[in-house]
Amino acid sequence: MGKATIIPFGPQHPVLPEPLHLDLVVEDEKVIEAIPQIGFVHRGLEKLVETRDYNQFIYVAERICGICAFGHSYGYAETVERLMGVEVPERGQYLRVIWHELSRIHSHILWLGLAADAFGYESLFMHCWRLRERVLDIFEKTTGGRVIFSVVKVGGVVRDIDAAQLAEIIRVLEGIKSDYRQLMDAFLKDSSVMNRTVGVGYLSFEDATNLSMVGPFARASNVAYDVRSLGIGAYGTLSDFQPIVDTQGDCYARMKVRALEVLQSIDIIEEMIARIPAGDISVPVKGNPAEGAEAACVVEQPRGECYYYARGNGSKNLERMRMRTPTSQNLAGMVKALEGCDLADVNMIILTIDPCISCTER
Amino acid sequence: MGFATEFTTLALQELPELSNQRKADGWRFVQLLAVNTDMGIDLIYSFMKDGLLVNSEIKGVTKDQVVPSITNNFLAAFVFENEVHDLFGVNIEGIAIDFGGNFYALAQKEPMTVISPEQKAAREKARKIAEAKAAKEKASKEGATPEQGKPQAVTSAHTADDDLEAKLAGMDPEKAAKVRAAMATKAKKEAARDGEGA
Repeated sequence: MGKATIIPFGPQHPVLPEPLHLDLVVEDEKVIEAIPQIGFVHRGLEKLVETRDYNQFIYVAERICGICAFGHSYGYAETVERLMGVEVPERGQYLRVIWHELSRIHSHILWLGLAADAFGYESLFMHCWRLRERVLDIFEKTTGGRVIFSVVKVGGVVRDIDAAQLAEIIRVLEGIKSDYRQLMDAFLKDSSVMNRTVGVGYLSFEDATNLSMVGPFARASNVAYDVRSLGIGAYGTLSDFQPIVDTQGDCYARMKVRALEVLQSIDIIEEMIARIPAGDISVPVKGNPAEGAEAACVVEQPRGECYYYARGNGSKNLERMRMRTPTSQNLAGMVKALEGCDLADVNMIILTIDPCISCTER
Repeated sequence: MGFATEFTTLALQELPELSNQRKADGWRFVQLLAVNTDMGIDLIYSFMKDGLLVNSEIKGVTKDQVVPSITNNFLAAFVFENEVHDLFGVNIEGIAIDFGGNFYALAQKEPMTVISPEQKAAREKARKIAEAKAAKEKASKEGATPEQGKPQAVTSAHTADDDLEAKLAGMDPEKAAKVRAAMATKAKKEAARDGEGA
């Protein structure tokens, strides 16, 4: 056994565009401990509720993250609606789920591309991102934006999707589905991919539950928890929803869970479109959140459960707004998964957690 | 499975027991957050089980109080405990991975405890509106008595002042200061004119 050495990893690293720093304590080529450090891009967005009213803050919430932008506006609006006792019309709820699941598809395909890039499969990376563009095109046609949509408001959504556009979404998703299955085969059956991922960064079911982990990271360790199964909003109308889980707990399992969730999201969108009711897309919201009123809500973001909390003070500004993102919850699991791994696998393990430090620091 | 949320209050000394109990009963730690209030820092610990999200609230923690860490039961809490320490200055003891105040690279110490003019104005406005509402209710109750003329007139004058104050409190502080100055000048002019007239 060699002498223990500390190797710094990040915050700028070719494989990880997120500003995450790790002190890796290594003996020979084995990592015996990993100490994470974040805090390089803290923006103080939560403090902005003091200067932006509860309607304006939705646009701030959206800018927390460039990938799960819609999810943050959705989670924020859902929490403020609970705070003020607002009931969103059914059509508005369905539209939110459609956009949210489209966001999950583009997030997971983006991540699969990044994973392919990390293990040196450049062409697979390009194919993934080419496919993702078709999802972004749907966003552009239905919302006018490709990253920031600004379609959610407290009380519902600001734009409807007409029948012709809904039919177009189905047609595009069917096309994506057939192309995506070919990509999925490359991820799940190619020996060069499996060599880099099978048995790497293992995390047991016990560790995943003890460390309170969430999202695909937890589900790959057989933790059958997905916020969508709680039936919040239009998710409650789904005929059947079962979280996708795997028992292997390694990088391959985490990749597999995300890969399968893309197909699951397409099925959810198809079901929502088939059953979307006619009617209003929003209700007018008047008044301010009451002083001392509190509400909390959870939303399943592409990376896992995200917690939102709001407290009113009787004025148009909230007293406190809080978002607990999935990455901050999964940092403890990441530290555990890195223990005992080979130094060469560190980037792969970190990537399969799909960390979003910008979300985490806000 | 459905989803429900609960808010409960908790004493600071009950925290270790709650943490042990939640761990033993198989609850999942969801998050820890802090809210800066006039009475101190409110800490809210959230746990979830079978779709029930319970938020346990410790009210008014002061900087001289020591909050025990729950990372012995829930390691995932280390991120939030460090965050609460760095952003709110809460003194948490025994964090499993303790960054000693260097978790976030901040330009300002404990930035979330700084009460901005906007927040101060919002609080003032909410307080004044609540006072005005209470005064109005009181007046309407008293209005039922035989001597209703005089008290009602006084109350309505008070309400108009309160409404104006509430409006000013909600404004940008600089703009509010200008409006106040203009009103003071106007009042002086009126007083001078009344003096000349007399």
